[in-house]
Amino acid sequence: MIELDAGAPFDQHRATVKSEWIDWNGHMNVGYYVVAFDQATDTLCKQFGCGFEYTRDKIGMTFVLEAHVTYDREVKEGDPLRITTQILAHDAKRIHYIHAMYHADEGYLAATNELMLMNIDYASRRSAPWPDFAMERIEKMAAAHAALPVPKQAGRLIGLPKKK
Amino acid sequence: MLASLPYELPELVTRAPLDTHRSTVLPEWVDWNGHMNVAFYVTAFDQASGAFMRNMGLGRRYVDGKLGMTFVLETHVTYDREMKGGAPMRFTTQLLERDAKKVHLFHEMFHAEQSYLASTNETIVMNIDYATRRSAPWPLPVGERLETLWAKHRLLPKPAKAGRVMGLSKK
Repeated sequence: MIELDAGAPFDQHRATVKSEWIDWNGHMNVGYYVVAFDQATDTLCKQFGCGFEYTRDKIGMTFVLEAHVTYDREVKEGDPLRITTQILAHDAKRIHYIHAMYHADEGYLAATNELMLMNIDYASRRSAPWPDFAMERIEKMAAAHAALPVPKQAGRLIGLPKKK
Repeated sequence: MLASLPYELPELVTRAPLDTHRSTVLPEWVDWNGHMNVAFYVTAFDQASGAFMRNMGLGRRYVDGKLGMTFVLETHVTYDREMKGGAPMRFTTQLLERDAKKVHLFHEMFHAEQSYLASTNETIVMNIDYATRRSAPWPLPVGERLETLWAKHRLLPKPAKAGRVMGLSKK
Protein backbone atom coordinates (compact mmCIF):
# COMPACT_ATOMS: atom_id res chain seq x y z
CA MET A 1 0.00 0.00 0.00
CA ILE A 2 1.08 3.57 -0.60
CA GLU A 3 2.52 5.66 2.19
CA LEU A 4 -0.17 7.16 4.40
CA ASP A 5 -0.60 10.91 4.15
CA ALA A 6 -1.83 12.15 7.53
CA GLY A 7 -1.83 15.81 6.51
CA ALA A 8 -4.90 17.72 7.65
CA PRO A 9 -6.84 18.25 5.50
CA PHE A 10 -5.79 15.58 2.99
CA ASP A 11 -4.47 17.65 0.09
CA GLN A 12 -3.29 15.48 -2.79
CA HIS A 13 -5.95 15.56 -5.46
CA ARG A 14 -5.43 17.76 -8.53
CA ALA A 15 -7.42 17.90 -11.78
CA THR A 16 -8.14 20.10 -14.77
CA VAL A 17 -11.59 21.06 -16.09
CA LYS A 18 -12.03 19.14 -19.35
CA SER A 19 -13.77 20.57 -22.41
CA GLU A 20 -16.45 17.86 -22.24
CA TRP A 21 -17.33 19.00 -18.70
CA ILE A 22 -18.58 22.37 -20.02
CA ASP A 23 -22.28 23.00 -20.68
CA TRP A 24 -24.25 25.55 -22.69
CA ASN A 25 -23.81 28.09 -19.89
CA GLY A 26 -20.07 28.10 -20.67
CA HIS A 27 -18.95 26.67 -17.33
CA MET A 28 -18.42 23.30 -15.70
CA ASN A 29 -21.77 21.51 -15.53
CA VAL A 30 -23.19 20.57 -12.12
CA GLY A 31 -22.83 16.85 -12.84
CA TYR A 32 -19.12 17.16 -13.63
CA TYR A 33 -18.36 18.90 -10.36
CA VAL A 34 -19.47 15.57 -8.89
CA VAL A 35 -17.30 13.64 -11.40
CA ALA A 36 -14.33 15.71 -10.21
CA PHE A 37 -15.26 15.15 -6.56
CA ASP A 38 -15.76 11.42 -7.14
CA GLN A 39 -12.23 11.22 -8.53
CA ALA A 40 -11.04 12.96 -5.35
CA THR A 41 -12.87 10.24 -3.41
CA ASP A 42 -10.85 7.67 -5.40
CA THR A 43 -7.64 9.46 -4.36
CA LEU A 44 -8.84 9.32 -0.74
CA CYS A 45 -9.81 5.64 -0.92
CA LYS A 46 -6.40 4.72 -2.37
CA GLN A 47 -4.96 6.00 0.92
CA PHE A 48 -6.61 3.15 2.76
CA GLY A 49 -6.32 0.50 0.10
CA CYS A 50 -9.88 0.75 -1.25
CA GLY A 51 -9.19 2.26 -4.69
CA PHE A 52 -9.56 0.70 -8.12
CA GLU A 53 -7.54 -2.43 -7.28
CA TYR A 54 -9.86 -3.15 -4.35
CA THR A 55 -12.71 -3.61 -6.83
CA ARG A 56 -10.64 -5.02 -9.72
CA ASP A 57 -9.39 -7.77 -7.40
CA LYS A 58 -13.01 -8.46 -6.35
CA ILE A 59 -12.39 -7.70 -2.68
CA GLY A 60 -14.90 -4.95 -2.22
CA MET A 61 -16.37 -1.70 -3.44
CA THR A 62 -17.33 1.63 -1.94
CA PHE A 63 -20.79 3.09 -2.56
CA VAL A 64 -21.94 6.64 -1.91
CA LEU A 65 -25.14 6.75 0.15
CA GLU A 66 -25.74 10.46 0.16
CA ALA A 67 -24.14 13.62 -1.18
CA HIS A 68 -24.56 17.36 -0.70
CA VAL A 69 -22.95 19.85 -3.06
CA THR A 70 -22.63 23.62 -2.71
CA TYR A 71 -21.82 25.40 -5.96
CA ASP A 72 -19.91 28.44 -4.79
CA ARG A 73 -18.30 29.80 -7.92
CA GLU A 74 -17.98 28.98 -11.63
CA VAL A 75 -14.94 27.25 -13.14
CA LYS A 76 -14.16 27.25 -16.86
CA GLU A 77 -12.54 24.88 -19.34
CA GLY A 78 -8.86 24.30 -18.60
CA ASP A 79 -9.04 25.64 -15.04
CA PRO A 80 -6.74 23.82 -12.62
CA LEU A 81 -8.49 22.32 -9.59
CA ARG A 82 -7.19 21.49 -6.14
CA ILE A 83 -9.44 19.34 -3.98
CA THR A 84 -8.88 18.89 -0.24
CA THR A 85 -10.64 16.30 1.91
CA GLN A 86 -11.56 16.26 5.58
CA ILE A 87 -12.91 13.18 7.37
CA LEU A 88 -15.72 14.29 9.70
CA ALA A 89 -16.72 10.95 11.22
CA HIS A 90 -16.48 7.23 10.63
CA ASP A 91 -17.89 3.99 11.92
CA ALA A 92 -17.40 0.28 11.23
CA LYS A 93 -18.77 0.51 7.67
CA ARG A 94 -18.96 4.17 6.69
CA ILE A 95 -17.04 7.41 6.46
CA HIS A 96 -18.55 10.90 6.47
CA TYR A 97 -16.29 13.46 4.85
CA ILE A 98 -16.25 16.72 2.95
CA HIS A 99 -14.28 17.79 -0.12
CA ALA A 100 -13.47 21.41 -0.92
CA MET A 101 -12.68 22.33 -4.53
CA TYR A 102 -10.47 25.35 -5.15
CA HIS A 103 -9.28 27.06 -8.30
CA ALA A 104 -5.65 25.96 -7.97
CA ASP A 105 -4.13 29.21 -9.28
CA GLU A 106 -6.59 31.83 -8.10
CA GLY A 107 -7.25 30.15 -4.78
CA TYR A 108 -11.02 30.73 -4.60
CA LEU A 109 -13.46 28.11 -3.33
CA ALA A 110 -15.47 26.75 -6.28
CA ALA A 111 -17.59 24.06 -4.58
CA THR A 112 -17.89 21.70 -1.64
CA ASN A 113 -19.14 18.11 -1.51
CA GLU A 114 -20.17 16.39 1.70
CA LEU A 115 -20.48 12.62 1.36
CA MET A 116 -21.41 9.44 3.14
CA LEU A 117 -19.48 6.48 1.79
CA MET A 118 -20.08 2.84 2.70
CA ASN A 119 -17.91 -0.22 2.32
CA ILE A 120 -19.50 -2.99 0.24
CA ASP A 121 -18.73 -6.69 0.08
CA TYR A 122 -17.93 -7.58 -3.53
CA ALA A 123 -19.83 -10.86 -3.71
CA SER A 124 -23.02 -9.92 -1.88
CA ARG A 125 -23.08 -6.21 -2.93
CA ARG A 126 -24.16 -5.53 0.64
CA SER A 127 -22.62 -3.33 3.32
CA ALA A 128 -19.71 -4.83 5.24
CA PRO A 129 -17.23 -3.61 7.86
CA TRP A 130 -14.08 -1.95 6.55
CA PRO A 131 -11.22 -4.46 6.22
CA ASP A 132 -8.69 -4.15 9.09
CA PHE A 133 -6.03 -2.68 6.80
CA ALA A 134 -8.44 0.08 5.78
CA MET A 135 -9.84 0.77 9.24
CA GLU A 136 -6.37 1.20 10.69
CA ARG A 137 -5.59 3.90 8.13
CA ILE A 138 -9.03 5.56 8.32
CA GLU A 139 -8.54 5.92 12.06
CA LYS A 140 -5.12 7.52 11.60
CA MET A 141 -6.44 9.99 9.04
CA ALA A 142 -9.55 10.74 11.11
CA ALA A 143 -7.38 11.39 14.18
CA ALA A 144 -5.26 13.83 12.19
CA HIS A 145 -8.38 15.56 10.84
CA ALA A 146 -10.14 15.75 14.22
CA ALA A 147 -8.26 18.94 15.10
CA LEU A 148 -9.66 20.79 12.08
CA PRO A 149 -12.71 23.02 12.51
CA VAL A 150 -15.89 21.66 10.90
CA PRO A 151 -16.40 23.58 7.63
CA LYS A 152 -19.53 25.75 7.55
CA GLN A 153 -20.71 23.89 4.44
CA ALA A 154 -20.99 20.61 6.39
CA GLY A 155 -24.36 19.60 7.84
CA ARG A 156 -26.35 21.99 5.70
CA LEU A 157 -30.08 21.89 5.24
CA ILE A 158 -31.36 23.00 1.83
CA GLY A 159 -33.99 25.71 1.72
CA LEU A 160 -34.91 29.21 0.69
CA PRO A 161 -34.53 31.93 3.33
CA LYS A 162 -37.77 32.46 5.23
CA LYS A 163 -39.30 35.91 5.16
CA LYS A 164 -42.51 37.61 6.28
CA MET B 1 -36.91 41.97 -14.71
CA LEU B 2 -37.84 40.84 -18.22
CA ALA B 3 -41.48 41.79 -18.83
CA SER B 4 -41.89 39.17 -21.56
CA LEU B 5 -40.05 36.46 -23.47
CA PRO B 6 -39.61 36.78 -27.27
CA TYR B 7 -40.81 33.27 -28.07
CA GLU B 8 -43.94 31.23 -27.60
CA LEU B 9 -44.08 29.41 -24.27
CA PRO B 10 -45.11 25.74 -24.17
CA GLU B 11 -48.47 24.79 -22.72
CA LEU B 12 -48.08 24.78 -18.95
CA VAL B 13 -48.30 21.38 -17.25
CA THR B 14 -49.58 21.85 -13.69
CA ARG B 15 -49.77 18.25 -12.51
CA ALA B 16 -48.61 17.73 -8.95
CA PRO B 17 -46.02 16.34 -8.89
CA LEU B 18 -44.76 16.92 -12.42
CA ASP B 19 -44.11 13.56 -14.05
CA THR B 20 -43.18 14.20 -17.67
CA HIS B 21 -39.43 13.56 -17.65
CA ARG B 22 -38.07 10.21 -18.85
CA SER B 23 -34.48 9.14 -19.53
CA THR B 24 -32.22 6.11 -19.93
CA VAL B 25 -28.93 5.26 -18.17
CA LEU B 26 -26.27 5.76 -20.85
CA PRO B 27 -23.41 3.23 -21.11
CA GLU B 28 -20.84 5.97 -20.45
CA TRP B 29 -22.54 6.73 -17.12
CA VAL B 30 -21.56 3.30 -15.74
CA ASP B 31 -18.43 3.04 -13.57
CA TRP B 32 -16.08 0.26 -12.46
CA ASN B 33 -18.66 -0.89 -9.91
CA GLY B 34 -20.95 -1.85 -12.81
CA HIS B 35 -23.68 0.71 -12.03
CA MET B 36 -24.55 4.32 -12.77
CA ASN B 37 -21.84 6.48 -11.22
CA VAL B 38 -22.85 8.97 -8.51
CA ALA B 39 -22.05 11.97 -10.68
CA PHE B 40 -24.40 10.90 -13.47
CA TYR B 41 -27.33 10.66 -11.10
CA VAL B 42 -26.72 14.40 -10.73
CA THR B 43 -26.53 14.80 -14.51
CA ALA B 44 -29.80 12.86 -14.90
CA PHE B 45 -31.45 15.02 -12.21
CA ASP B 46 -30.07 18.17 -13.85
CA GLN B 47 -31.89 17.13 -17.01
CA ALA B 48 -35.06 16.73 -14.93
CA SER B 49 -34.49 20.29 -13.64
CA GLY B 50 -34.11 21.28 -17.30
CA ALA B 51 -37.52 19.73 -18.02
CA PHE B 52 -39.00 21.70 -15.11
CA MET B 53 -37.47 24.91 -16.48
CA ARG B 54 -38.73 24.23 -20.02
CA ASN B 55 -42.22 23.93 -18.55
CA MET B 56 -41.68 27.35 -16.97
CA GLY B 57 -40.64 28.73 -20.38
CA LEU B 58 -36.87 28.68 -19.76
CA GLY B 59 -35.43 26.25 -22.27
CA ARG B 60 -32.56 26.42 -24.67
CA ARG B 61 -34.01 29.53 -26.37
CA TYR B 62 -33.66 31.43 -23.10
CA VAL B 63 -29.89 30.86 -23.14
CA ASP B 64 -29.36 30.97 -26.91
CA GLY B 65 -31.34 34.22 -27.05
CA LYS B 66 -28.84 35.62 -24.49
CA LEU B 67 -31.71 36.45 -22.16
CA GLY B 68 -30.71 34.50 -19.12
CA MET B 69 -29.55 31.23 -17.60
CA THR B 70 -30.37 29.13 -14.57
CA PHE B 71 -27.62 28.08 -12.15
CA VAL B 72 -27.80 25.41 -9.46
CA LEU B 73 -26.66 26.75 -6.09
CA GLU B 74 -26.88 23.63 -3.99
CA THR B 75 -27.97 20.04 -4.36
CA HIS B 76 -28.55 17.06 -2.05
CA VAL B 77 -28.76 13.50 -3.35
CA THR B 78 -29.81 10.28 -1.64
CA TYR B 79 -28.64 7.14 -3.42
CA ASP B 80 -31.32 4.60 -2.65
CA ARG B 81 -30.74 1.81 -5.13
CA GLU B 82 -28.39 0.91 -7.98
CA MET B 83 -29.22 1.53 -11.64
CA LYS B 84 -27.53 -0.42 -14.42
CA GLY B 85 -26.62 0.63 -17.95
CA GLY B 86 -29.72 0.91 -20.17
CA ALA B 87 -32.15 1.13 -17.26
CA PRO B 88 -35.20 3.32 -18.05
CA MET B 89 -35.80 6.17 -15.62
CA ARG B 90 -38.95 8.04 -14.70
CA PHE B 91 -38.80 11.25 -12.68
CA THR B 92 -41.26 13.19 -10.56
CA THR B 93 -40.66 16.79 -9.55
CA GLN B 94 -42.24 18.75 -6.72
CA LEU B 95 -41.90 22.50 -6.26
CA LEU B 96 -41.16 22.86 -2.54
CA GLU B 97 -40.75 26.63 -2.44
CA ARG B 98 -40.16 29.59 -4.73
CA ASP B 99 -39.17 33.21 -4.39
CA ALA B 100 -38.41 36.12 -6.74
CA LYS B 101 -35.20 34.56 -8.10
CA LYS B 102 -35.06 30.92 -6.99
CA VAL B 103 -36.90 27.63 -6.88
CA HIS B 104 -36.45 24.79 -4.40
CA LEU B 105 -37.17 21.51 -6.19
CA PHE B 106 -37.44 17.90 -5.10
CA HIS B 107 -36.93 15.18 -7.71
CA GLU B 108 -37.44 11.45 -7.35
CA MET B 109 -35.91 8.97 -9.79
CA PHE B 110 -37.66 5.64 -10.32
CA HIS B 111 -36.75 2.61 -12.37
CA ALA B 112 -39.46 3.07 -15.00
CA GLU B 113 -40.25 -0.65 -15.37
CA GLN B 114 -39.51 -2.09 -11.93
CA SER B 115 -40.89 1.04 -10.22
CA TYR B 116 -38.42 1.11 -7.35
CA LEU B 117 -37.10 4.42 -6.02
CA ALA B 118 -33.48 4.75 -7.16
CA SER B 119 -32.57 8.19 -5.86
CA THR B 120 -33.83 11.59 -4.71
CA ASN B 121 -32.46 15.06 -5.36
CA GLU B 122 -33.29 18.26 -3.57
CA THR B 123 -31.94 21.30 -5.35
CA ILE B 124 -31.97 25.12 -5.44
CA VAL B 125 -31.93 26.73 -8.88
CA MET B 126 -31.48 30.47 -9.40
CA ASN B 127 -32.29 32.72 -12.34
CA ILE B 128 -29.24 34.51 -13.81
CA ASP B 129 -29.03 37.60 -15.99
CA TYR B 130 -27.16 36.67 -19.17
CA ALA B 131 -25.02 39.80 -19.45
CA THR B 132 -23.95 40.23 -15.82
CA ARG B 133 -23.93 36.51 -14.87
CA ARG B 134 -25.55 37.64 -11.62
CA SER B 135 -28.84 36.65 -10.01
CA ALA B 136 -31.97 38.34 -11.36
CA PRO B 137 -35.73 38.07 -10.76
CA TRP B 138 -37.64 35.55 -12.89
CA PRO B 139 -39.03 37.01 -16.14
CA LEU B 140 -42.62 38.15 -15.52
CA PRO B 141 -44.37 35.29 -17.40
CA VAL B 142 -42.15 32.77 -15.61
CA GLY B 143 -43.08 34.21 -12.22
CA GLU B 144 -46.75 33.87 -13.17
CA ARG B 145 -46.27 30.24 -14.21
CA LEU B 146 -44.46 29.49 -10.97
CA GLU B 147 -47.40 30.87 -8.99
CA THR B 148 -49.86 28.76 -11.00
CA LEU B 149 -47.77 25.66 -10.36
CA TRP B 150 -47.24 26.57 -6.71
CA ALA B 151 -51.00 26.72 -6.14
CA LYS B 152 -51.09 22.97 -6.94
CA HIS B 153 -47.76 21.83 -5.51
CA ARG B 154 -48.16 23.55 -2.14
CA LEU B 155 -50.93 21.04 -1.38
CA LEU B 156 -48.58 18.05 -1.70
CA PRO B 157 -47.13 16.61 1.50
CA LYS B 158 -43.45 17.36 2.14
CA PRO B 159 -41.41 14.36 0.94
CA ALA B 160 -39.84 12.28 3.71
CA LYS B 161 -36.40 12.59 2.17
CA ALA B 162 -36.50 16.39 1.83
CA GLY B 163 -34.65 18.56 4.32
CA ARG B 164 -32.06 15.99 5.27
CA VAL B 165 -28.88 16.79 7.16
CA MET B 166 -26.08 14.27 6.69
CA GLY B 167 -24.48 12.50 9.60
CA LEU B 168 -23.73 9.13 11.13
CA SER B 169 -26.45 7.93 13.46
CA LYS B 170 -25.38 8.37 17.05
CA LYS B 171 -25.42 5.21 19.12
